[in-house]
Amino acid sequence: MMRFLPRDRMLWLAAPALLYLAFFYALPLIYLLGRSVIGPNGPTLSLFAGFFADEYNWRVIGNTLRIALLVTLVSLVIGYPVALALARARGLAQVMLLTAIILPLSVGVVVKAFAWQIVLRRDGAIAKLLVATGIWDEPQRLLFTEPGLVIGAANVFLPFMILPIYSVVKLIDPRLSEAGATLGASPFYRFRKIILPLTMPGLISGMAFVFSLSVSMFVIPSLLMGDRFQTLATLTGRSFLLMRNEALGSATAVVLLVLAVSIVVGSTILSRRIGRMA
Amino acid sequence: MNPAPFLDIRKASKDFGSGPVLDGVDLAVSRGEFISLLGPSGCGKTTLLRIIAGLAAADGGSVTLDGQDISRLPPHRRDVGVVFQNYALFPHLTVAENIAFGLRAKGAPATEISATVERFLALIHMAAFADRSVRALSGGQQQRVAVARALATKPKLLLLDEPFSALDRKLRETMQIDLRRLLRELGTTAIFVTHDQDEALIMSDRIAVMNRGRIEQLDTPEAIYARPATPFALEFVGLSTRIAGTVSGYDPDGFVTVETPLGAIRGRGRFEVGSPVLLGVRPERIRFGAEGGTNVAAPVLSDIVFQGARIQAHFASPDQHPVMIEISGALPAGLAPGVPVQISFAVEDTIAYPLATA
Repeated sequence: MMRFLPRDRMLWLAAPALLYLAFFYALPLIYLLGRSVIGPNGPTLSLFAGFFADEYNWRVIGNTLRIALLVTLVSLVIGYPVALALARARGLAQVMLLTAIILPLSVGVVVKAFAWQIVLRRDGAIAKLLVATGIWDEPQRLLFTEPGLVIGAANVFLPFMILPIYSVVKLIDPRLSEAGATLGASPFYRFRKIILPLTMPGLISGMAFVFSLSVSMFVIPSLLMGDRFQTLATLTGRSFLLMRNEALGSATAVVLLVLAVSIVVGSTILSRRIGRMA
Repeated sequence: MNPAPFLDIRKASKDFGSGPVLDGVDLAVSRGEFISLLGPSGCGKTTLLRIIAGLAAADGGSVTLDGQDISRLPPHRRDVGVVFQNYALFPHLTVAENIAFGLRAKGAPATEISATVERFLALIHMAAFADRSVRALSGGQQQRVAVARALATKPKLLLLDEPFSALDRKLRETMQIDLRRLLRELGTTAIFVTHDQDEALIMSDRIAVMNRGRIEQLDTPEAIYARPATPFALEFVGLSTRIAGTVSGYDPDGFVTVETPLGAIRGRGRFEVGSPVLLGVRPERIRFGAEGGTNVAAPVLSDIVFQGARIQAHFASPDQHPVMIEISGALPAGLAPGVPVQISFAVEDTIAYPLATA
């Protein structure tokens, strides 16, 4: 028993963070949860019954999940190769890559969203580029469209996809891939059977990060989509700030929380299983 | 001479930007041969191995294997297996899956895969470990799995990069003999990189002694030990007594007389009078007393080192080179440090090398 003592004591190091989270996160959350299930006449689920009875709210849930999923996929497709390159880069190239990925985090999300408003306009950079390359016949507006929102959000959340994958890839012995090559495995086979399964933990945390960030984003959809497009997060904000409907706000917040937690936990379990089978 | 060699390396060169790592290396290996690349770290032996495997690109030269120029082929098309120094086993796969990896990658039929895996598990005595994770294995077991994994695809050539360096001494010796036997049974042509001369002497058909990006001598272990071609080969393989001096005379049948701090000593070599040379003798070829040969000297004894089966006597060196005797059996009576002792050795066992003047 004695030798476990130090490890037990180590746990106390987590105490400040736990206390902080308990006071400023868990308690308000419990209050919010409580409000959503306790009506004037005692415990009730009528708030949720009402919420789910409204077809509009189902559309809001659909919007939320669709956008979060797309943002996660776009970040994954762009971020995974970058993470691999970053882990193999050396010296100045690596420093510059890392800076390019981390520095944008210091720019506020509101600033970035306004910048994307300019880029996504009918006369913005993207429209001009697509017309110049002949992909579009005439300039179109990407601002206030779903593709525009996904592009903007993926840009903001990309570092949260790249960094967890990078931290896993850089621990992988480069000789594993070399060993695969000397055993006759093609580059694609090596990727599928060695790199992909070994980077799965990083992939899972990156996807979990980006998904939870984009399922709950508020500023970006507000600025890039406007009021006519609602997600659970923007609806929660509107309920509290504009409509003064705290009951609806609590309901949407709880639905959002449950959705996000279950999808992140579920995908983690699922991907672990895939990783083990591959 | 033989027809075309099985593996033929011509003028392999590599420069990472700070001088040549490989300086135009030629190496020809016969089918079924076991060749060691022996040299200190930084001599280019691992670079040569990586060039043969296709894991590094040579700046110049060619590699021909079994009649095919493989210089431009990617590693997965070369049919060259590698056992890495750290084994590089796939940590997410079991022992059996690691061994099956190459066959699966090549799309072999499932029956062939399971039969081959079973055969190799038996060959390395690890049938009971088939479904274990490789992370749970000891160093020696991991090494055997790495060898089996590399051999399972029946590569034309097996490369081994210091595969014993992570194992403790006792285990190393048995594993060296086991590996040698396994490769002989399978008739595998192998190139083995090591900095350990004992390992190279035990295992090899021929040894290539490498120094500064060149092969200094390529010969059988016996020949390299008995007749090192260069001072480096003399120093790196086995122990040696070395004495520097200046040539004072030579005779036409290939012997020189050298003036040394220990007196005039004769040895094999062709040098002009006045050339600085280094004389080398294996310590076990030197005797106490005057019966060992016509070269006689009386250096001052400095230390006696007991090594079990052998005993070494070290002498005060006239320069920075060691002077020592190695004998098996009892030391002569009356030896004491600080006292000159008569020693002798044969002219035939003494080889003169050119000594680079600083």
